[in-house]
Amino acid sequence: MKNKNKTSEKIRRSKIYLMLTNIVMTLMVILIISILVMSKTDETLKAKVSSIADTLNVQMKMNMESYLERMETTGTLIFATEEVYKYDATDPDNDEYDALQTEKIISDNLFDICIMENYVDFGIVYRNNHFVGKISNGTSKLFGDRLFEDLSKMINRQRTADGWHTGYNDDYKRIYYVKKVNENALFVSSFYSTELENVFDHPGGIGDMTVQLTENNYAIIYSSNEEINKPGTSIPDDIYSRIKDTDSMTKIDDEYLVSVSKCADNWHVICYIPTPIILTEKNEIIYFLVIVGSLAMIIATLLNVILLNRIITPVSSMVTNLDTKARTDLLTGVLNKRTFEEITDNALRLCNNEHFGAIILIDVDNFKHVNDTLGHAYGDKVLSGIGDILRDTFGKEDYLGRLGGDEFCVFMKVPEEQNEDFEGFIAQRCESLCQAFRNNYTGDDKSYKISASLGAACTYKNVKTFAELYKCADEALYKSKQKGKDTYTIFEPSDEKGAD
Amino acid sequence: MKLKTLLASAMLSVFVGSVASGCTYYKPIVKIHTKQTEISFSWWGNDARNEYTINAIKEFERLHPEIKVNCHYSEWSGYQSRSNVQMASNTEADVMQINYAWISQYSPDGYGYYDINKLSEYIDLSNFEESELSYGMKNGMLNAIPIALNTQTVYINKDIYEEYGLEVPKHWNDIIDAAKVMNGKHYPLAMTQKSSWFFATSYVEQMTGKRLMNQNGNIIFTADEFKEMINFYCQLIKNNVIPQVEYFDKLKIENGEYAGVLAWLSDAKGYCETAISNGYEMVPADYTTFENRQLSGWYAKPATMYAISKNTDTPKEAAILLDYLLNSNEMASYQGIEKGIPLSKSTRNYLNKNNMLSGIQYEAFIKMNQFNSSIDVISPFFENEDYIDMYTDACNNVLYEKATLDESAVALYENLTKQK
Repeated sequence: MKNKNKTSEKIRRSKIYLMLTNIVMTLMVILIISILVMSKTDETLKAKVSSIADTLNVQMKMNMESYLERMETTGTLIFATEEVYKYDATDPDNDEYDALQTEKIISDNLFDICIMENYVDFGIVYRNNHFVGKISNGTSKLFGDRLFEDLSKMINRQRTADGWHTGYNDDYKRIYYVKKVNENALFVSSFYSTELENVFDHPGGIGDMTVQLTENNYAIIYSSNEEINKPGTSIPDDIYSRIKDTDSMTKIDDEYLVSVSKCADNWHVICYIPTPIILTEKNEIIYFLVIVGSLAMIIATLLNVILLNRIITPVSSMVTNLDTKARTDLLTGVLNKRTFEEITDNALRLCNNEHFGAIILIDVDNFKHVNDTLGHAYGDKVLSGIGDILRDTFGKEDYLGRLGGDEFCVFMKVPEEQNEDFEGFIAQRCESLCQAFRNNYTGDDKSYKISASLGAACTYKNVKTFAELYKCADEALYKSKQKGKDTYTIFEPSDEKGAD
Repeated sequence: MKLKTLLASAMLSVFVGSVASGCTYYKPIVKIHTKQTEISFSWWGNDARNEYTINAIKEFERLHPEIKVNCHYSEWSGYQSRSNVQMASNTEADVMQINYAWISQYSPDGYGYYDINKLSEYIDLSNFEESELSYGMKNGMLNAIPIALNTQTVYINKDIYEEYGLEVPKHWNDIIDAAKVMNGKHYPLAMTQKSSWFFATSYVEQMTGKRLMNQNGNIIFTADEFKEMINFYCQLIKNNVIPQVEYFDKLKIENGEYAGVLAWLSDAKGYCETAISNGYEMVPADYTTFENRQLSGWYAKPATMYAISKNTDTPKEAAILLDYLLNSNEMASYQGIEKGIPLSKSTRNYLNKNNMLSGIQYEAFIKMNQFNSSIDVISPFFENEDYIDMYTDACNNVLYEKATLDESAVALYENLTKQK
């Protein structure tokens, strides 16, 4: 029945709303958890990578200092031979033969010390630019007749009278170590900056990390990425802005992870890598979270459906039952008076000049006689049977109601195809109902003659409310009673019309 | 009741799932290190050679990422001392640039270096003639492969000579006379200590028709011939034909102060390139001679050779590197003819196709081939550094009047024969 379906529809809609609300809430919870997890992971990952980069940078700085120290120590060994620091090649009183012999001793000593390292230069330069030991053509050519003068300018540590230097005449391929031997002699050793590849080799480090050694003015001495950052050029501005005025620090932001350590001679070991590269793992975590979140969504949705079904189905059934009971006349199974009036009133609002509706009032003739002679129990049985007659005679679209006692009412919509002759249609249904009464209670027994008087009223006369229509139908019923019962009358406001 | 069961099941599932995923999360993470075989490579050379060799090795490492090459290099002076230490302590590099003389010194029985024939699977030996490989053969084993042939060559600054109305010298007297004309303003020739040993030997061998030593290193010269050698050097110094070897300064070739230089064919580019770029015309001279010489006096040898350590743990990788150094186009493009004209056919073809067979080094190579018939193969013992030091000391003793010529010559003879 119509009223039953409406309740079910409401419950079904509520179920969907509840389900959607649950899914949205689950989604939001998963989303919030994901964001929190991502945020925490991001933070942890950055902290860990920073720590690794910091360790790597410090290790490189120690490697560098250790390498420089080794070179310095090797250079210091030349002082083990007395001739090295006592001999003065600039002394005009030197005997040439003795000078040659002394220089040979010094030279042999220098070669003995330096043979195991890849030195480019390893010799002693005198104030007159004469040298002993290994001074390469490259160095000789680069310095020319300013060899002693310019090398001596490289001494920047007073305590040990030595110093490191590179970039002489913009040549960053060589790194020099100079140490004062005496007033007129300097020890110089040098090596190619490519040697630093071994110092800064970091096979276990962070892949793609650029490692650079810079002077105190941040000019590059060595770069692991020489194709982009050539020695002699300045470090990239992006990196400089992050490390300037800092001696030791590791910093990570959205663009770069940068680590810097100051080592000997105010040189800096700088390691850096674009942050997005090191956070590629983050994308994997996002992917993982999306998968887990989706699975959680599916599981949550399924649980929602199952749980809501489990909860709502019995409630829905119970509510429907209660609703049905509240709306139904228990004896006859048709709508009770209040519900019938309410539903009919609503239905009448939808009627207009193209959609007609009608109510048929039914009054059982002589029903009091049945009660008096056969008892109320039997009377109830008869009334229940009348419910069956009504259901058999009218369709599912029609509303059936019991208004009280032996008075019933039917609201029916006139199908559009019957608009031309809707009165005939109603008359036909009234006649069918009268005949149904006659057939059921005038059978073989014939001990009781029960019939029905019917009064019908249509909406076509601008009668729109149940009360108005009821009044009209009641007048028509009255006429049927006057005609001798077991008949029907269709209300006509202007003239009265009946049928047998 | 059913609802309770369902909820309990869901919670249990979540718990089991959490535990399972927790177990997965804490499983050990294993990172396999990139496998890289480390080998070492040593060579001697000047700045230019060091630079291109380092770049060529980087290229090799790019081509063979499974191999890492540790480089050890030095100028010639000191390299042999380092090799002595390394060979004696079994710490020599896996692949070594060696001097021809070292085969006899370090591998008299052929077992001092790896037998490269055993690695022919990785090294294309067909690029070399049998006669070329024979330089590296010892006792039937291929100890080393020559890169190019080399000889001491006189390079003349033609412009300086022409300034004095002199032609490119051919005879000993041409050079000695040039000093008189130049009158101390320029040296007609200059040379290192080792070159002076070659120069004086050539002079005396041509003059006497005797060899200083035989192929086994036995001294044939007597004190008289050594006296000639010492005297020849002292005269060259006293007459300003050459500067004292201790004061030899390569940069003075570039500015024309030295009007000529005696140097290895493989050093032609290194010695003369800057002078040429400074506008001087440098040419290889004929091999200095007497009109009626009795012997050539000039010697050829493999310029440098590559050998593999007998102790190497990585012969395959060493062989791959050796093949790259000798036969690859990449190395050919870096090296050019810096070490002389390569003997490897594939390398020479590459250089020829790319018009890289030119310049003073190539001209000196042509000159060497013209005189090829009169150039002898050097004794592996001839370049012994101790011999050369003794000779220089003997010369200086005379120059600085610490000993007479005779005394020095006798002392030198005795020392050399004792050393042998």
